[in-house]
Amino acid sequence: MKAVPKDKLPALLEELSKEGDLYVPSQAGEMSRFVPWKRDVKLDLEHNTTMSPKELLFPQTEVIYNYKFGEENTVEPPSPGSDKIILFGVRPCDVQAIRCLDEVFLTRTYVDNYYQEKRDRLIIISLGCTAAEDTCFCKDMGVNPVEAEGADIVIFDLDGEYGFEAKTDKGKEIAKKLSSFLEETNKEKPAAPSFSLEVNSEGIVEKLQKMFEHPIWEEVSQKCICCGTCTFLCPSCHCFDINSKNIDATKGFKYRTWDACVFDDYALMAGGHDVRPSKVERIRNRFLHKLQFFQERYGLFLCTGCGRCLRECPVGTNIAAFINRLEEVTVDG
Amino acid sequence: MASADKNPLVPMLGTITKIIDETPDVKTFHVTTADGKPFTPKPGQLAMLSLIPVGEGMFSITWQGDDYLEFSIKKVGVLTDALHDADVGTTVGIRGPYGNSFPVEIMKGKDLLFIGGGIGLAPLRSLINHCIVNRDEFGKLEVLYGARSPADLVFKYDLFDNWPKVRDMEVYVTVDRGDDDWKGKVGFVPAYLEELKPSPEGKVAITCGPPIMIKYVLQTLEKLGFNEDQVITTLEMRMKCGIGKCGRCNIGSQFICLDGPVFSLAQLKKLPPEW
Repeated sequence: MKAVPKDKLPALLEELSKEGDLYVPSQAGEMSRFVPWKRDVKLDLEHNTTMSPKELLFPQTEVIYNYKFGEENTVEPPSPGSDKIILFGVRPCDVQAIRCLDEVFLTRTYVDNYYQEKRDRLIIISLGCTAAEDTCFCKDMGVNPVEAEGADIVIFDLDGEYGFEAKTDKGKEIAKKLSSFLEETNKEKPAAPSFSLEVNSEGIVEKLQKMFEHPIWEEVSQKCICCGTCTFLCPSCHCFDINSKNIDATKGFKYRTWDACVFDDYALMAGGHDVRPSKVERIRNRFLHKLQFFQERYGLFLCTGCGRCLRECPVGTNIAAFINRLEEVTVDG
Repeated sequence: MASADKNPLVPMLGTITKIIDETPDVKTFHVTTADGKPFTPKPGQLAMLSLIPVGEGMFSITWQGDDYLEFSIKKVGVLTDALHDADVGTTVGIRGPYGNSFPVEIMKGKDLLFIGGGIGLAPLRSLINHCIVNRDEFGKLEVLYGARSPADLVFKYDLFDNWPKVRDMEVYVTVDRGDDDWKGKVGFVPAYLEELKPSPEGKVAITCGPPIMIKYVLQTLEKLGFNEDQVITTLEMRMKCGIGKCGRCNIGSQFICLDGPVFSLAQLKKLPPEW
């Protein structure tokens, strides 16, 4: 395996930054997120970021088109970008989330142009995990915590150096450009970390299919304040709203923003009909979307076990604990 | 339908060319573009219609002409209020067509029973008119329609004038509350359906209306002996993207905008009862 000595990492990143817009995990004020790399950016490769990298592919707010109205009527989508987007240090759970987003935005009849044009420019350099936090449960949601399936390049922390493995053609091309930093190592890939949180997701799809009408939803939604923190931090939540913003009496723009299925107007229709009027139905829809519906539609869990929602929920709603609770539930048939 | 180069979230620009007052809160709009009809939808499909500076909403396409699409729209919110205030010549955005469509193939040679309530006749009308245009392909056509009051009946010209003249076509109309001039039936749609006792033999029933009406109509049809494949409904849910990405219009793993809006009762029974 190739490796880069840790003291050469800054030089490697500098070289990488010549290939496109490079983003790295770093503390940014109160929270950590992927920020544009600069020489003085302090990398945080110890912990996963508070904000997931989805914001680089699917920004919290994004213009769909600019418009003019009145005398002259036009709609004009913004021009796509051209530079590569290089994400360095993405954790395997978040790589898996990008695979989920790919399914949503790139398959099933329609391609979402906004996502696609960024995805085409994206190069994912994942950092395999050698330690798990007490909120991590990726391995139980079908994610390999070390190998990061779907990444273009995976790097591994091997003490004094980072193991470096190019997985895709895109990754190999980048590896070629970085060859002067890479040397052979005889160290082995790290073993999967041990997890303090264990989640049993086996058979939950079939079980949940029989639990639409179950008292558990009343119970798990009881504390929820419908703030949407879970959905905003979630690397795979993809719901969005579309709105117009008029700049003046002749022009404006159509934009989309992240939305949250826990918000009370999420499914509220003009005319007043609402199929999910209380948080009981909304939390049920959220958990079933993550654990059942997405599996039925795309064959993946829409939860990758990153643990962000467990860590940050202000009232302690815990999807991992919910999954484990299912073991105690008995259903007919 | 969906090519990678065409951006499905960006509308074409069109114009309102005609406005018909249907009821105190329903108007029918004809929409066309500089190149003619925006697209050619199948019966039961949907389109996103927008007033550029106001907003965008999903509407069923009520009917189409050679060079226009028709939308019958009830005034219920910000966008529909603004549409009702709009004049002929107003610029609109339009994108689509979205959704599946009525399974016309399985209806061929069958008698068809349309059961509509309120503005729910709008999506059915695209199929009813399709059957009239292709009259020989279908058996007897029956329409059972109800609204809150005589004033709230949509498409009165069809209900009382055009449709009864069509060969082998019957129209039954009821209202929840009559008025001094109303000589017709008074009562709810599911009760009238029970009274008419249509035979399920060789028939397909297609229903749309307020969710509560649909639920009772489905129950009544099953009681009358219709099986799950003989009953078709078209549903509505809040939608934003129309292309199965934004999330909100799901029933279980299905999106109304993409996998619907048309479902057979058999399909519906496999989904969570959340619509």
